Amino acid sequence: MEPLPATARSLRRNTGDAALNSSNEPGPTTSADDALWSAIGDPTRRRLLDLLLADNGGTATSLGRQLPVTRQAVAKHLGVLDRTGLVRSSSAGRERRYQVDEVQLARAVAQLSAVRSAWETRLQRIRRIAETIQQTSDSDLLRHDQSD
Amino acid sequence: MDDAEPGTIERELYIEAAPEIVFDVVSKPEHLKEWWPDDAKYEPTPGSTGEIVFGDPTTDGAAVAFTVVESVAPQTFSFRWTHPSGEVAAEGNSLLVTFELTPRDGGTLLRMTETGFRQMGWEIAVLEQQYQEHIQGWNHFLPRLAPYVATLETRR
Repeated sequence: MEPLPATARSLRRNTGDAALNSSNEPGPTTSADDALWSAIGDPTRRRLLDLLLADNGGTATSLGRQLPVTRQAVAKHLGVLDRTGLVRSSSAGRERRYQVDEVQLARAVAQLSAVRSAWETRLQRIRRIAETIQQTSDSDLLRHDQSD
Repeated sequence: MDDAEPGTIERELYIEAAPEIVFDVVSKPEHLKEWWPDDAKYEPTPGSTGEIVFGDPTTDGAAVAFTVVESVAPQTFSFRWTHPSGEVAAEGNSLLVTFELTPRDGGTLLRMTETGFRQMGWEIAVLEQQYQEHIQGWNHFLPRLAPYVATLETRR
């Protein structure tokens, strides 16, 4: 499991004005963060998580005020995040209040790094197989040369 | 861990074998199933569609669609996988894996990229399932790796 605190810290690092600018992705993040956000799939949802972590939760209205999208769009994105389990909601008057589920967030990070490490393992196997074949054909050639 | 763009897994490694050999290993079904799935059924030609099999599909394993996109020996081999069977592989319904081979110092620099995670909009449940399938594939495969390498070595 990736340690969650690093992820949460890097998110918080990017909660300045840049994160609220609709024309730019949030500032520098680690590639692990990037992969996680890609799996989540959408820059608006990424900013929502960012804001939720920074403000320790929020509603569609409070989040909508900080983003260049409508409250309805925010509510829809929150619904997507809710279904993936990345946020949890609770009743807060007439609205729902959302918070990041840090355990799920940590799991998502860990799973993405698992996909990466699976490829790492496959590539090492590719290397071993190819090098074994190369050595085999080299020694065949050598034996052939010696028998001449 | 320095991937070029979001939604891409990118790896590079040096192999002490000629590009022709590495190309065979990454593209031919008989080799593919020695480093990844338990079985691989496809023709290694562009447009060919088949499947790769993890575990026993009749019990808890899975057959996954596999379509060859590009095959230029010994430079490039790419394929799409994980599209729903019966659907044509395209951006948005599958992951694209590309192997690029460059001759280097008598060996081969192999670069692998896997893209499509963003386009597929993968959510956590799917990722987890995929991860479990990967683990299962490796569990089936690992015990067979050593004997396979041994057979290659005894041919020396």
